[in-house]
Amino acid sequence: MSRKALLISPELCIGCRGCQTACKSWNQLSAEKTQNKGTAENPPDLSPNVYNRIRYVEVPSAANPVRWLFVSQRCMHCGDAGCMKICPAPGALYRTKEGAVAFNKEKCIGCRLCIGGCPFNVPRYDAKDKIAKCTLCSDRISAGLAPACAKTCPSGAIRFGDRDAMIDLSKKTGYAKVYGEADLGGLGTLFAFRDAPAVYGMEEKPAIPESVIFWNRILRPLAYWGLGAAVAASLLHYVAVGPKRDEEVKKDE
Amino acid sequence: MSNMIKKADAFEIVNHWTTAISFFLLVVSGFGFLFHIGQVGSVFGGFSQMRVIHNYAGLVFAASLLLSVFSYLGEALIFSGEDVIWLIKGGGYLSKTGKVPPQGKLNAGQKGFYLLLLLAGIVISASGLTIWLMPGIRKWLLLSHLLHNISFDLLLIAVTGHIYLATLANPGTFRIMIYGTVPLEWARKRHAKWVQKMGF
Amino acid sequence: MTNHWVDLKNSDVILVMGGNPAENHPISMKWMMRAQEKGGKLIVVDPRFTRTAAKADIYAPMRSGTDIAFLGGMIKYILDNNLYFREYVVNYTNAPFLVNPDFKGPRDLSGLFSGYDAETRKYDKKTWSVQMDEKGLPKKDVSLKDPHCVFQLLRKHYSSYTIDKVSSITGTPKEKLAEVYKVYASTGKPNRVGAECYAMGWTQHTVGTQNIRAMSIIQLLLGNMGMAGGGINALRGESNVQGSTDHGLLFHILPGYLPVPTASVADLKTYVEKLTPKTKDPKSVNWWGNRPKYITSYLKAIYGANATKENDFAYSLLPKPDEGMNASWLMLFDQMFRGGFEGFFAWGQNPACSGANAGKVRKALATLKWMVNVNLFDNETGSFWKGPGVDPKAIQTEVFLLPCASSVEKEGSITNSSRLAQWRYKAVEPVGESKADSDIMNELYVRVRRLYQTQGGAFPEPILKLTWGYGDARTGKVDIHRVAKEINGYYLEDLFDKKATPPKQFGKKGELCASFVHLQADGTTSCGNWLYSQSYTQKEGKVINMMARRKTDDPTGLGLFSEWAWCWPVNRRVLYNRASVNLQGVPWDPKRQILKWNATKLDKNTQKPGVWEGDVPDGPAPPMADEKAGKYPFIMRADGKGALFGPGLADGPFPEHYEALECPLQANLMSRQRINPAVRLFYGKKGSQEADIFVSCDVRYPFVATTYRVSEHWQTGVLTRHLPYQLELQPQQFVEISEELAKEKGIANGHRVVVKSARGEVKAVAMVTNRLRPFRVADSTVHQVGLPWHFGWQFPEDGSAGDSANLLTPTIGDANTMIPETKAFMVNVEKA
Ligand code: SF4
Ligand code: SF4
Ligand code: SF4
Repeated sequence: MSRKALLISPELCIGCRGCQTACKSWNQLSAEKTQNKGTAENPPDLSPNVYNRIRYVEVPSAANPVRWLFVSQRCMHCGDAGCMKICPAPGALYRTKEGAVAFNKEKCIGCRLCIGGCPFNVPRYDAKDKIAKCTLCSDRISAGLAPACAKTCPSGAIRFGDRDAMIDLSKKTGYAKVYGEADLGGLGTLFAFRDAPAVYGMEEKPAIPESVIFWNRILRPLAYWGLGAAVAASLLHYVAVGPKRDEEVKKDE
Repeated sequence: MSNMIKKADAFEIVNHWTTAISFFLLVVSGFGFLFHIGQVGSVFGGFSQMRVIHNYAGLVFAASLLLSVFSYLGEALIFSGEDVIWLIKGGGYLSKTGKVPPQGKLNAGQKGFYLLLLLAGIVISASGLTIWLMPGIRKWLLLSHLLHNISFDLLLIAVTGHIYLATLANPGTFRIMIYGTVPLEWARKRHAKWVQKMGF
Repeated sequence: MTNHWVDLKNSDVILVMGGNPAENHPISMKWMMRAQEKGGKLIVVDPRFTRTAAKADIYAPMRSGTDIAFLGGMIKYILDNNLYFREYVVNYTNAPFLVNPDFKGPRDLSGLFSGYDAETRKYDKKTWSVQMDEKGLPKKDVSLKDPHCVFQLLRKHYSSYTIDKVSSITGTPKEKLAEVYKVYASTGKPNRVGAECYAMGWTQHTVGTQNIRAMSIIQLLLGNMGMAGGGINALRGESNVQGSTDHGLLFHILPGYLPVPTASVADLKTYVEKLTPKTKDPKSVNWWGNRPKYITSYLKAIYGANATKENDFAYSLLPKPDEGMNASWLMLFDQMFRGGFEGFFAWGQNPACSGANAGKVRKALATLKWMVNVNLFDNETGSFWKGPGVDPKAIQTEVFLLPCASSVEKEGSITNSSRLAQWRYKAVEPVGESKADSDIMNELYVRVRRLYQTQGGAFPEPILKLTWGYGDARTGKVDIHRVAKEINGYYLEDLFDKKATPPKQFGKKGELCASFVHLQADGTTSCGNWLYSQSYTQKEGKVINMMARRKTDDPTGLGLFSEWAWCWPVNRRVLYNRASVNLQGVPWDPKRQILKWNATKLDKNTQKPGVWEGDVPDGPAPPMADEKAGKYPFIMRADGKGALFGPGLADGPFPEHYEALECPLQANLMSRQRINPAVRLFYGKKGSQEADIFVSCDVRYPFVATTYRVSEHWQTGVLTRHLPYQLELQPQQFVEISEELAKEKGIANGHRVVVKSARGEVKAVAMVTNRLRPFRVADSTVHQVGLPWHFGWQFPEDGSAGDSANLLTPTIGDANTMIPETKAFMVNVEKA
């Protein structure tokens, strides 16, 4: 099956947040008690009950009071997913056949290491300390439906389809630089940006933390090979040099 | 058994086994986590339970490590010129006829090993505790994760050597961890200065 | 909307003014952004930088209540620079008409039109008339040079709307004005089209109707009416507000925009004589000339067999207000406040929060003996007796709550802003004891009828003689299809076209009408609402619910989607579409061809050559150039012309800038008249109530305020505040204030503040933002603030949402419609 992806176009987003409500409604997430803190942006952060949210980003503008951007925040479904990499519990985070990074609460052990592995600060934990995040609506897409947020979006700011087609679509509509086209093994949540990612409050080059890469490349194999080598060295010593026997000590005298 | 000498008291024996067993559990479960070994997980009753066991075994390990300070740290901190020579000569393990200067209750290698164990043990415990108890602070999490794994690798290799040296490489040593005593002769050869100090 | 949602994608320029579609009509943005993708420009004019403004190519800030100054400046710009579409203006509008030489305008009479009576605040419109020739046709000067011609009067009227003057009134920077004017006026070319979208930001002013009139003038000058991608588009504030207005929601109109007769219109003959527009111009279709057919068919629909030729089709049973009586919202609640009512049905509404000057409304409710609150949830209206500052023991009103079904719990049609009537199905059964509104009405009617039958009453006939064939005999429930069919109308006799030889039958007794073209004035047809005739019809005996159609074919590519549901009139997707072609019937812009006259093709019905291709035309007659049968495009107007000069309104034939009732200025910079001279004042005369107090240019209330809605809530929030997901997004009342004002007042972002007007106060969270900037008005700084009106004290129960912003708004209405002015008034903001 070809890899699926969301194409998010902040330039088309009108900040209506139908996507937030649709996501909650489909995933049966409960509402949060929020407060107006001087911004329309709410809830204030992703949470175990908030898989996606719109960030209201204000950047200076020459022609207007501000430039007001609406940028969706959610799991990026990285091709090379730091969360999966670091996760110690097999099956807690897994890749679906559509390429989504989904989770299984039964298998999650609540260690929260995936927070460290994720370049986008996405994973959150519920009251039982189990992971919660956007799954690309893996239950819907495996049944041939569009994700709830994409289905709801009135303006076409969230579109869903084959990843290649989404990249094409973005380029054809004039957004040549597709955020996430190549980074992190290609993201499953692509962004069609008009300007530099920083304008939208996003990392220019998102990456899995170097320590995690170092761990994965060196430290992890070292545990395996190091143990093996130590045992082998011991055996070698035993055969080649042999143990210290008291008799020998005696002879020495 | 008049020609026996007591090298470890009951407290040391018990504490050593506590360290050893907890360490073993930690290594096995740690491997389960590192390499997603399902069978290991099932032995522990699933990964969630394995995490709980790993965490508490870690606590036990840390505690026994701290207690070991009373037994070994004083000795381990004093290095003499002879210790240096011992180390240069590889503890006499490099050949069948290796000759080393007389050693105290702990030889230079044991001192070094203990210090490494203590240091890495503290790091691995502290980082483990951080991951366990301070979840969600990404910077700390990543640092702890790194240190936990570095110290793990170190401990794994060092402890393997330790076990070899305490068993196959030095027959007769292992009984210390059972009876606390060793033959006087055995001790003279290995810890001459200590035996002397003890007045034999 | 004269056009429709999808059609917005066909525009070259879209002006959004008096509306905020991104937040209140999100789906429209899809089509606007399609237009932008093709190079179209979106212009947003709004006091606040809204979510719509965030998508705009050009944003121009404008002080609340100064739209006419802004648009008047555009009219002047178009005229001064000769950017109007001359051929269109000369032929399709009343620009060449010669006006009564006695007519005087605000430039002559310092802000007034001729005929003003300061005592009654009314105009005698005698001089607002057109000169007629001996044949009874308007006198014209097609060169547009005669000083009395509409075109020259228009020029004169807007001569003082210079960019400097406009800028100092509106606070819009001059360069922004020039930019907006330039870009919008570029649509005066035949191959460029501009659309306007508005909502309550235009209507809820004392000059609301004239705001829209001003835009109509622009659209006519630029030739944008009738064009795909053009038009003036009222974005409705509720999913079915178009439908309810079509069906007679307002006090002065019967279904299908037939006027409600006053008591002096004693019989049907007088009604027809007095209220049917007439023309002597053979080229004018004057569609309203059909009014006798529509009113008779309406009477047949509601009184059935009780309406006969002999009894004047039961015309006498129609309720008729007294002469001069005004039953608009503000008047009703004023009456109630004065103890004029015993009971009140608050049906699907929440006046305690939605009514302007809600504090007065809440006091008015306390005078009632009983109130029936029909709603999904209890609300501030039903619970007024335990509201803030109310002592329940002092209230005598008995309140009943009738729980009603939500839209997904019942079947029926709704009509959206595109005039598109779509059939919807029931998804789930109503919860608990709740019932569909129609079932509640049915039960109410049946019981009231029984009371009249058993106990009699003062005037039982209007109730007893109604047709009421909606109930399903078995369940007692309303069969909504029967209602829809009654609205469409029936042939009550076999009907023949007698002009044909032999006479051709077009209607079969008992069948559903094909369209309003078949309606009769002699009682042989019935029709509940002529505009909806054809919505539920019968073809070759087969009953077809046109509103349930779901075909997505779009042969023209213009997004007409003619077989998706059905729109009035007769499924015409773009109104006045005959204005999209030239006098010969050739589209002004071939790229946007919604209609084209094919002179050689045979008409299926008449077998004569000449048919319109494309959308359903505004009447089948040949284009205007046809000497014998050609017709003007604006068929709903008696003279067939788009009205640059509009004498029908109460406050002048040309829109003139007046300040809002409450404004920051001592005087109107445009003329000596500060406010609209024709509005009905509630305060400051004999017998006026303190509750209606207003202040203007008063240091105690120095800031201009406006109310508005946000995407996350609906109306007073009764439906959305009870949805935790929506409340999570917008949990409480806030007020947007500029950084400058915040600094002046020592208010930080997120602070609790109190917003006060002369009538009341509300607590709110300060949203300090750059999206709102102070205005330079008349060489001084004017601050504007804005707050949504979705909240109320009753829910959430902890009161965390705050109370309604309508506690602040004044009791004053538009001079024509009496829509309250909630979009411009004066407040103060203080730290709480
Ligand atoms: S539903 Fe679409 S337009 Fe609305 S906020 Fe979400 S992404 Fe933006
Ligand atoms: S964004 Fe974070 S949580 Fe999502 S797949 Fe990538 S690493 Fe995992
Ligand atoms: S893809 Fe599904 S889970 Fe992810 S944000 Fe959208 S609706 Fe929520």
